[in-house]
Amino acid sequence: MEATIEVRALRKTYGPTVAVDDLSFTVAPGQVTGFVGPNGAGKSTTMRMIMGLDRPDGGSALIGGKPYRSLRAPLCRIGAMLDASAVHPARRARDHLRWLAQANGLPARRVDEVIDLAGLASAAGRRAGGFSLGMRQRLGIAAALLGDPPVLMFDEPVNGLDPEGITWIRALLRSLAAEGRAVLMSSHLMSELEGGADHLVVIGRGRLIADTAVGELLKAASGDRVELRTAQRQDAMAVLARAGATVSASGPDEVTVAGLTAERVIAALNGAGVGFTGISEHRATLEEAYMELTRDAVEFQGVAGREAR
Amino acid sequence: MTAVCALRAEWTKLRTLPSTWWMLAAIAGLTLAVGAAVTGSVDTSHCSTPAGCMEDTPKLALSGVQLGQVAAVVLGVLAVGGEYAAGTIGATLAAIPRRSTVLAAKAAVVAAVVAVAGTAGVLASLAVARGLLPGNGFTSANGYPPLSLADGPTARAAFGTVLYLVLVALLALGVGTAVREQAAAITAVLALLWIVPIITRLIASAKWEDRLDKIAPMPAGLAVQATRGLERLPIGPWNGLGVLAAYAAVALLAGGALFTLRDP
Repeated sequence: MEATIEVRALRKTYGPTVAVDDLSFTVAPGQVTGFVGPNGAGKSTTMRMIMGLDRPDGGSALIGGKPYRSLRAPLCRIGAMLDASAVHPARRARDHLRWLAQANGLPARRVDEVIDLAGLASAAGRRAGGFSLGMRQRLGIAAALLGDPPVLMFDEPVNGLDPEGITWIRALLRSLAAEGRAVLMSSHLMSELEGGADHLVVIGRGRLIADTAVGELLKAASGDRVELRTAQRQDAMAVLARAGATVSASGPDEVTVAGLTAERVIAALNGAGVGFTGISEHRATLEEAYMELTRDAVEFQGVAGREAR
Repeated sequence: MTAVCALRAEWTKLRTLPSTWWMLAAIAGLTLAVGAAVTGSVDTSHCSTPAGCMEDTPKLALSGVQLGQVAAVVLGVLAVGGEYAAGTIGATLAAIPRRSTVLAAKAAVVAAVVAVAGTAGVLASLAVARGLLPGNGFTSANGYPPLSLADGPTARAAFGTVLYLVLVALLALGVGTAVREQAAAITAVLALLWIVPIITRLIASAKWEDRLDKIAPMPAGLAVQATRGLERLPIGPWNGLGVLAAYAAVALLAGGALFTLRDP
């Protein structure tokens, strides 16, 4: 079975509200795909449709080429944590994992294995009602890993976690992807995916905004801008403007230069005898790239709205 | 294979919640306690002759089931409503996508545990009543042989009472699946069970009482406890239990249909 999630023209409406609108993307094996969008963008609804929990009004979602409801022993095909708080408060953590394992005919030893994997050994005998959010997330992840599935899906796995927990989940997802699994992780904060995702699927209002590799997105957002630090800001700006660059002051002694490579900036400044104390190629953060993307989407929506009229 | 896995999972789910054991204890305990209290409070002194009381002693002994059934209702509703309340229904359906398999497995394990608790409550009630009845004038000499399962009608009343509890729990499971919200489902099932007994107490019309008792789940279902004057019953013992079984079947089918058709 191929380790993929394929979403094709997926659509879900609740009355007059369109929650997911003609959404298509593929989650590939061997990498972490970030699924990003503001709250209410349709991420959870999409994940519930992938899991066969909500019925789509159109389109399809396939796991390894098959719809969820047709999977035999689905926990061995895809592991998911959609809602970490979805455990019965009066049931012990180990028993929660036990019934899940039994439901798919998995051996009891898998329960102990995922308890160790999730670092829950000391808490497994306790009732889940007394668990902190972080422990519930660990229990949810243990449940997702029960069937050793080639595809994994996590809805907001780091939401509300302390830095230690965030680091742990990131490293875990990375290692799962490195083993060749397809990993989909949603977040409403792009910054949570910084350094954690290889590929991004960005949605807003149920529609696809971007489906791109993180590296390419950052390169595009960074442009070929150069950050310059100099005590002679006015002189530097004049020299570089003459050399054909678009310059702007970004601080009392800082200049952002666009349209020239770092080498040509250095050459131009040296030629004119303008001193500088630092120069670096600008690297956009994911957050900046996201803002740029969503700004384009807003503009596009505005244009589309005018055309429709 | 899938069915066996679903049964094991549902059994584990049921047995790992403390509330299950409390409800099972309540089914047996309330049936016994109320049965013993009612049996102990009735004697032959209010009749002209002891034999003239015409008391249906097995039915008297098993009257505690009227309260014991409340625990069966709660257990049946919790088996599915607890999953909606806790949110584990998503995990259940992720592991077993076939809704009908999930509901059938739940019905099987609920029926099994209620049958065990019901049997315990019924046998204990009969044993205690057997000890209490002679002291209240219900002796062999007065035409009331000691309660015994060797007596056909008594055995039928005892077995039927266990089935009654099982069917009430299944009715509750069906309503719980349809309604999803636990408090609403428990209220709905208790109302369905008690509405006719309460109404007939108020309208005081023998004709209407007979008509309603034939079609209402609790009065019809409890006809299975009668061992005397069967010809005067509005509905026969097994037919009455059949009425309750029909309610349970409709509730499970309706619950199952909604479970399959709608998003959880």
